[in-house]
Order: sequence, then C-alpha cells, then structure tokens
Amino acid sequence: MNMPSSVKLSLLLLPLLAACTEKETLRYGLQDQVVYEDKTQKTKRKSESEYISILYTNLYQQPITPNQLYKTQQVVQSIGDRTLAWEMLLSNYFNKPGIQMPAETFMRAETDSFINMAYRRYYLRRPGEAERAWFRNFIRNRSDATVEMVFTAFAASDEYAFY
Amino acid sequence: MKRKEFIRKAGLLTAGTAAAPYILPSGRLFARTNTPLADHVVLVMFAGGVRQQEAVLQRYLDDSQDVKVQGNIMYNLLEGAAPATKIAYGTTAPGGYNGGQPIPRLLSQSLQSQGTLFTEMRAQSAGHYTGLTTLMTGNPGVAQGLKARPRFPTLFEYLRRHAGFKASECWFIGNTIGNSTPLLNASDHSEYGLAYGGNFFAAPVTFGSAGIDVLSNAKPYSDEDLQPMYAMKEFLDRSFNLEASAFDSVRNTPEERTRIKEWMRDVYRRLQSGQIAFPPVTDNGDAFSIGMAAEVLREFKPKVLVVNMSAVDGCHSNFTGYLQSLHRADHATGWLWDRIQRTIPEMSGKTTLIVAPECGRNLNPNPIQDDNDWYAYDHSDANALRVWGLMAGPNVPRNLVVGNENNSVGRLTDIVPTIAHILGVKDEAMNAGYLDPLARSLFDRI
Repeated sequence: MNMPSSVKLSLLLLPLLAACTEKETLRYGLQDQVVYEDKTQKTKRKSESEYISILYTNLYQQPITPNQLYKTQQVVQSIGDRTLAWEMLLSNYFNKPGIQMPAETFMRAETDSFINMAYRRYYLRRPGEAERAWFRNFIRNRSDATVEMVFTAFAASDEYAFY
Repeated sequence: MKRKEFIRKAGLLTAGTAAAPYILPSGRLFARTNTPLADHVVLVMFAGGVRQQEAVLQRYLDDSQDVKVQGNIMYNLLEGAAPATKIAYGTTAPGGYNGGQPIPRLLSQSLQSQGTLFTEMRAQSAGHYTGLTTLMTGNPGVAQGLKARPRFPTLFEYLRRHAGFKASECWFIGNTIGNSTPLLNASDHSEYGLAYGGNFFAAPVTFGSAGIDVLSNAKPYSDEDLQPMYAMKEFLDRSFNLEASAFDSVRNTPEERTRIKEWMRDVYRRLQSGQIAFPPVTDNGDAFSIGMAAEVLREFKPKVLVVNMSAVDGCHSNFTGYLQSLHRADHATGWLWDRIQRTIPEMSGKTTLIVAPECGRNLNPNPIQDDNDWYAYDHSDANALRVWGLMAGPNVPRNLVVGNENNSVGRLTDIVPTIAHILGVKDEAMNAGYLDPLARSLFDRI
C-alpha cells in the first residue's frame, strides 16, 4: 500500500511533537538568606597565620603581604602568652594609619547597630539578646569604652580565635 | 545563741582563721614543705652540646685535635689557667688571627670557687631536645616527640602549682622558635599543663629586628585605658566559655599582661636607642638572649628564670667556632651572675645560679675539618652522655668539687628536684610521681 509522502512525514514528526510539551516550573518561595555562624559550632582553633590574615584584613580591609605575615607569625610564636602577643599586635595595628573603624559618634548614637556590626565583623554571627543588652549597657555607662577598646576586646577574645 | 551553735561557729571561725593565710592562688591549702634555700633561681642551659674534654677537663686541643695544648677556656665558671698557645677561642682583633684575642675574665672569683661543681654528671640523652626537656621536667623524656609539649610537668608547673607562684614569676628565655623550644614553658600533662606554665620569649625573635618591626609601635595604654577592654573581653570569654584544656598558651592575669606589655614597649624603645646592657662581647644570639634574660630579671625579679644557649652546637661542622662559642657562653654566664649581684639588689645574695649542658659530645670526631684543620664533633655516643653541673648561691657549699672522671655523681634529671628544693617544694615535686625515679636534689648528693 502506498501512503502519500505528506502522511509519512507527519507520522515521522508525531513523536517529536509529543516530546515538546511545556515543562512545569516549580517555585518553592525561597528567599536569599545571610548565614551566620553559631558560637557553639566554633570548635576549630585558627592557626596563627589564619588569625593574623583575618585580623589584618578585618582591620585594614586589605590583605596582609606574605612577607609581613611570615614575620608577624614568627614574632607571635616567640611569645609564650598568646593573648599578650595578640594584644601587643592589636595595639601596634591601632597605632598605624589606614585602619578602618567606625566613628565614636556612631557607636554612641546607634549603639545597637554598632553592636550588631561588631559581632558580625568579628564573630560572623548576630549577638544574642543578652549579649546585645550587656554591651548596650556597658557602652552607655562607660565613657572610656572606645571603639578601639571594643574592637581590641573582640579581637583578643577566645571566640575570635575559633571558627 | 545556743551553746551548741556557738561552739560550732567558734570552731569554724578558728579553723578558717588558721587556714586562710595558707590558701595559695593555686587553691592549695598549705605552703612549701621545706625551708627555701634561696629566694630566686636562675638556670642556664649551657649551651648546645658541650664536650666534657674541652669544658671541665680543660684539655682544649689536646683531647680533640691531637695538639698538645691544654687549658681552661671557661675561666668565669671554672678554676684553671687558660691555654698558653694556639689561642683561637677569643675575638678577632683587626689584622689578627681568627679568635686570637681571649675575652677578659669578668668575675674576680670563678663560679666554681663560689659554689659547688659536679664534674661528672650523666645526661639521659645525647640529643638536644630530649636533653632540654630533661632539664625542664626532671624526666628522661623517653618517647618525647619533637614539636610537641613535654609529656611530663615542667619545673614551672611544679613551682606554680605547689608554691603558688604567678606566671610573671616564672620565665623561660629561649634563643629560637625552632624545634620545640617555644613549647618548653609548659607540658600538656592533664594534672598540670598550661594553666601552670611559665612565660616565654624567644629573645632574638621577640626583641630582634622582626619583633621591633611588628611590635615596637604599640600604643601606650595605661591600666585605666585597658580596664574597659579587659571588662569586655572577660564578658566575651565567659560567654564563649572555653575550657581550660583548650588553652593554647600560658595565661597571665590582665594586670600581669599590662605590666609585661609596658615593659616590652620600654625595652623596644631602649633597644633602639642602645640603652640595653649586654655582655661586653655580644656577637651571637646566645649573648643577646642572656642580655634579655638580665632585663627580665631586672624588671620582674622572678622566682625562677631559665635561659637557653645553643651556639656551641656549631661544633657539628666547625671546631674553632665551637671553642669560640663555648668561651662566649662562659663570658655571658659570668656577666649574668655579675649583673644579678651588682645591679639587682632584690636578687643579689638571694639567688642561686645553676649551670648545666643538655648533653655532651662524642669522643671521636666526624670527618669535617675547619679552617684550622681541626675536626668537628657530633653528639651520639656514650661520651655525649658525660656532662657537668655547677651551682652557686645561698646555702650552696663554696669551693666544693663533687665527683671526678671515674666517679659520676648526679644526673640531669636532678636539676628539677634541686630547684624545687631551693624554692621549698621538693617533696611535692618528688612525690608527684613524674620525675625520673633516680633523680635527687643535688644538695642530697653532696
């Protein structure tokens, strides 16, 4: 039996047409989220080079040079009390130009924002309500609590040494 | 008040009044168990593997290079005349021979004549690190790994835990951050550990060019400036609640840290203006370390300070350099003793100095010859276990020599119980169960 060629062509294209159904797009209603660390999950101690690199970048918003990193690491290793070494290092950093710090007026005027910023910047997490309340109270009651001292306390703290 | 209640309260009050003065910062109830023999101890770990033949035996080139010249090149420490010829251990005068100018003697009386010399002691290892660990722990250090904290408590831990000393009263001045040196200030022992460790500086690094570059520009904070910072840090640390077992270093109190930081700032300033006193001949890292140890003594008047030297170890490839380093180590140690007596009144006459090498060197040389065609020496045989020890200070018999070449008296593991004895906690250290069972206070071997 001879079929017309147009029918043959139609029969050949039929599977292709069947395959071209519209694909269903699933939407789950997700939104972008910023993920924060949890202090209870910080169990790994930063190595000296990690600590120094992260601290330097944090304070100066630019990476430390490899040569300076190596030298700093050696000096830190040469001091038995690491907290003392970090405090000395911070004191030196705060005495050099180029450090990126918010103004004292910002800390006093927008204390909660400042506290949130400090926790995010150093601990990569939000402060708990108790933590925020403690700092709010401390900053409001202590005129000698400067941004530099707050940053030093965070950078020299135990939690900052972990990730 | 009822009679029964009155008696109970009165009893408690009496007990509390009696016990309170003896409660130490460590939480221990009773203070030292033996009468201290001195207020301070300085231990010089001398100085990188010292061959017995060139040190106490004073054979100079005779027993090493087959050159018939004997003599004492450590005349601040030991009694004996210096070599008369073939002088190569001193400094080099312009146009002169290498090492041809001996360093003038600093002490009018040698330390040997001021104290007791143990001429033939036994090291428990022929290696540096095990030797240093032995000196610091009183334990032979078998199975002690490199780049690891000592497995057994250090003398700092015995003293801080049992005598209640503060961290700033216990110091180790090292000469390098290499190998395990920065880890010798505390063990990782579960009953002692970092909570009782001593302070540490690797002097040539902390106060050398790197330290000056990285740390000398510190802001001058006062105690008052730092008070809010410490309050915030305390809150943050309490919130994080790090267990003591997770500490990675010794911890001073905030007050101690502030004091140390102020002192460091002052040292950097004086280093840059050339105001720090060093031994007259300071041309190697050892003398620099000794100079910085003297600065620590001057400022903190610690109960115990340990300082390490190691330049002598150049003997692996350069015998002339070894002689020069040995001569300088003697010079630096003599200077340190003189410095304590003359410039630190709080420690003068109240300090015991102990000097001991961490190991000896081989009987036979290796094939390496230096510019004088003298052979070098390693440290791996039985001769490398032959060492000596010297102590001087209050209650140390003067001008006494104990033992001889054929009669070994004393072990390097004796150093920790000796220091514990001097500072009043001998029984605690001995009974802790972590010392070499053969170790004894050197005072008990006299």
